[in-house]
Amino acid sequence: MSVTNQDNDFDRKLVAKIKAEKISPKPRWHFLLKDSVIWAAGTFSLLVGAGAVSVLIYFFKYSGWEMREAMHKSWGEFFLLTLPYFWIIFLGLFVFILYYNLQHTKHGYRYPVWFIISSSVLSSVILGGIFFLAGLGERIDNLLGVQAPFYNTVINRHLDFWFNPAEGRLVGIVTDKNDDNSFTIIDPSGNEWLVSADSCASSMFLLHLREPVDIIGQVTDDHRFAARRIKPGHPGRSFLSRPRPRPSRTNLPPLLLPSP
Amino acid sequence: MLEAKNAAKVSDEELIGLILQDQDNFLYLVDRYKHRLLSYIRRLTNVNNEDAEDILQEVFIKIYLNLNDFNRDLKFSSWAYRITHNQVISRHRKLQARPEGHAVNIEDQAARRLAAEIDIAAAADLQLLKDHTARILAQLDAKYREILILKFWEEKNYQEISDIIEKPPGTVASTLNKAKQEFKKELARQQLNLN
Repeated sequence: MSVTNQDNDFDRKLVAKIKAEKISPKPRWHFLLKDSVIWAAGTFSLLVGAGAVSVLIYFFKYSGWEMREAMHKSWGEFFLLTLPYFWIIFLGLFVFILYYNLQHTKHGYRYPVWFIISSSVLSSVILGGIFFLAGLGERIDNLLGVQAPFYNTVINRHLDFWFNPAEGRLVGIVTDKNDDNSFTIIDPSGNEWLVSADSCASSMFLLHLREPVDIIGQVTDDHRFAARRIKPGHPGRSFLSRPRPRPSRTNLPPLLLPSP
Repeated sequence: MLEAKNAAKVSDEELIGLILQDQDNFLYLVDRYKHRLLSYIRRLTNVNNEDAEDILQEVFIKIYLNLNDFNRDLKFSSWAYRITHNQVISRHRKLQARPEGHAVNIEDQAARRLAAEIDIAAAADLQLLKDHTARILAQLDAKYREILILKFWEEKNYQEISDIIEKPPGTVASTLNKAKQEFKKELARQQLNLN
């Protein structure tokens, strides 16, 4: 039984179904809205991904490559210890969402996957670079530092890496410049350190109050640190400035205390 | 409603505009495409006539519902084939069955086109090819079968196939090449004579 013999029957059934179910073409705005949502979600993902790139550039700029040798770390070890995994995963997620949305635009299927993925990555990186130059990376980091949970362990792993006085690395925010050769900082745990820069190769003029600083040196006494190298500027300014109860000195871990 | 003699003169794209003004004109579009799309459905699936017509009815309802989504950068036929292709896949997904092409009766023209592409020239081989096409196609992976049907039975070009299956033209070209190789391999496996 071919449709040729049933032409009228098929047409009749089709028309009957359309009338019975009161089917009518969906309005144009319905499709425009759907397209707009896809483009808006893509644009949002691009902006968020670019924001992540700007933070990544900010982190890389202050990761302290120039002090790697003084830390006695190999390139590989230093890279793995300071790599901002959170932001890389975050960027990957939003690049994927951007790719997904681009592929689901009206003409998205016409482009190869590699082209859409590389366009997504490239546009995020270029826009992220512009955002960084506009200071957005630093602003995002400062914003998250105010109260984001797991900031120092997940969002900004630099802090965890740099805050290890037993291995000769100290990070904190400058609270006072006592004289030409010493200054005071507050570390991520809220402890105050008196840092001596007598044998420091870096200039004290680089330091600014209420700004973060990375220090390489060694613990000399209870909460006293002799700096060999200092590097001002570090992601985590807001985190280091968070108001936190100052821990009791008697409860300090023995690792931080100088050997007798 | 348009008069039948006038309806024949308007393009598909113009007809869509007229349908949006008067829904009765939809039947002209149905008349233009129902045979082509039904053949396509029968080539893609192993359903009986009644089920094929059910699928065709769902296809036309989707076309009707989504008329305002028709993108005029495409040919209407590509859009209609795309909806049909997706409807067949969706129906078989619901039934958790793989679309099996069993209604492929290869015409002389289609056989010659396919034979030329896979280097079969001898008349005897052509006859064997015609006799075994449905069985060979049924053995192929769905993506290869679909693309061969679109190219040699529906006579679609790369751009049209790209618009129907929603893959980049480059992917269409490479899949088609692979499909031809697989078809030839299957032909050889079935111990048919090849040049």
